[in-house]
Amino acid sequence: MSTKRFFLFGIFVWCFTNNTVFAQSSYQLGALPTFNANYTLKNDWSVNGRLESRLLFQTGRSDGFINRDFNYQLTDFALLGAKKVGLKSRVAGGFLVRVEGNEIIFRLIQQYILVRKMSGIRFAHRIMTDQTFSKSEKPDFRLRYRLSTEFALNGESVDPGEFYIKVNNEYLNSVQDLTYDLEIRLVPLLGYSLNNRYKIEAGLDYRVNSFIRGNARHTYWMNFNFFIEI
Amino acid sequence: MRFCHVVCSLIVFLLISVSPLFAQEKFEKESRIRKKDIPPKALQFVEALPLAKKVKWYREEGLTNTTIEVKFKYEKKRYSVEFDTLGNVEDVELNITKPGLPSGVLESFSAYLEANCSKYNINKVQIQYTGEAPDLLSVIKGDDKNLKLNIYYEVVVVCTYGKKTDLFEYLINEEGAVLSSSKIIFKNSTHLEY
Repeated sequence: MSTKRFFLFGIFVWCFTNNTVFAQSSYQLGALPTFNANYTLKNDWSVNGRLESRLLFQTGRSDGFINRDFNYQLTDFALLGAKKVGLKSRVAGGFLVRVEGNEIIFRLIQQYILVRKMSGIRFAHRIMTDQTFSKSEKPDFRLRYRLSTEFALNGESVDPGEFYIKVNNEYLNSVQDLTYDLEIRLVPLLGYSLNNRYKIEAGLDYRVNSFIRGNARHTYWMNFNFFIEI
Repeated sequence: MRFCHVVCSLIVFLLISVSPLFAQEKFEKESRIRKKDIPPKALQFVEALPLAKKVKWYREEGLTNTTIEVKFKYEKKRYSVEFDTLGNVEDVELNITKPGLPSGVLESFSAYLEANCSKYNINKVQIQYTGEAPDLLSVIKGDDKNLKLNIYYEVVVVCTYGKKTDLFEYLINEEGAVLSSSKIIFKNSTHLEY
């Protein structure tokens, strides 16, 4: 029931913020190709590496301004060490290095994940904190919660050679220079399990932030994910 | 720096399009099947039951064999019936709760768990009936007298041993003796976690 509520709330927020309720809203369109590799170690330890680029195709404002210049934005390299702490839970910690223009941005990450299974559906609750440091901006502190839901499109669980739907709904609370902001993300994806080691996903990554201050910024990324178990 | 940007983007795209993606692996697979793919004998078995709700049919492809499984609810109880590919019934499984285990079975099995797990929790219990098709039909219909059936119990347990906690499935007989046990391996969830 709580999952339904999260979805409904996510859809509500999407409809509400997408309706140009806020006078000075802006948007970005782009692509987020992501490569994610996971390596299992002994004694329930594992290492996860992620490489993600951001490519911007178009930006615009609600007053009609449109810029269609292609723009490579950044690349993230993330490395996390994780330890299974329960039957279905894991804690992880690590860092992310962002290469953006001539600047290097550094982020520390801590997260706790709990995966639950029901007939035909899997849920993953992720609670995460991160701290971002850069030369040009004040430190950014975030507290995030993400609910990921996976629906098997054939049978009771996702088997190799089968498609699935994955929906991420995330709420990011951030404090930077004593200013609070909330970002909401809704990411519906179509996935395909090639075999037990490889998965590919494609879909839309919708994000909205700054709506608390009345100038909502919407971003729409085409999401392409590739997961590998080494 | 621009060169670095192009290289970074290229690496991501190349890693996504590498060819070992299509390497084959052995696996167990469960998939829904349509009515036309159900063996007639299996369909006949299920149609002999006055089921009000829709039933779900699956094909289970294992490493060594393939079976057909049907899941349904009857008289507020959850059943699953397994058939071979010709439609011959192999067993009937009925979901029950932990208190549904006969006290003698629970006692013997609890003693086994206490000896093997420092901490345990019984997660799921199923009664497994094997026998002739008419007797298996009768047991679903609630007529369990004078039937020639073999009764086993499939029990899923969270067991902590040493520093590890895992999920195990045990097959136990009517005396509570453990006939077999297997560790349940969870499906990969990296794509849900990161």
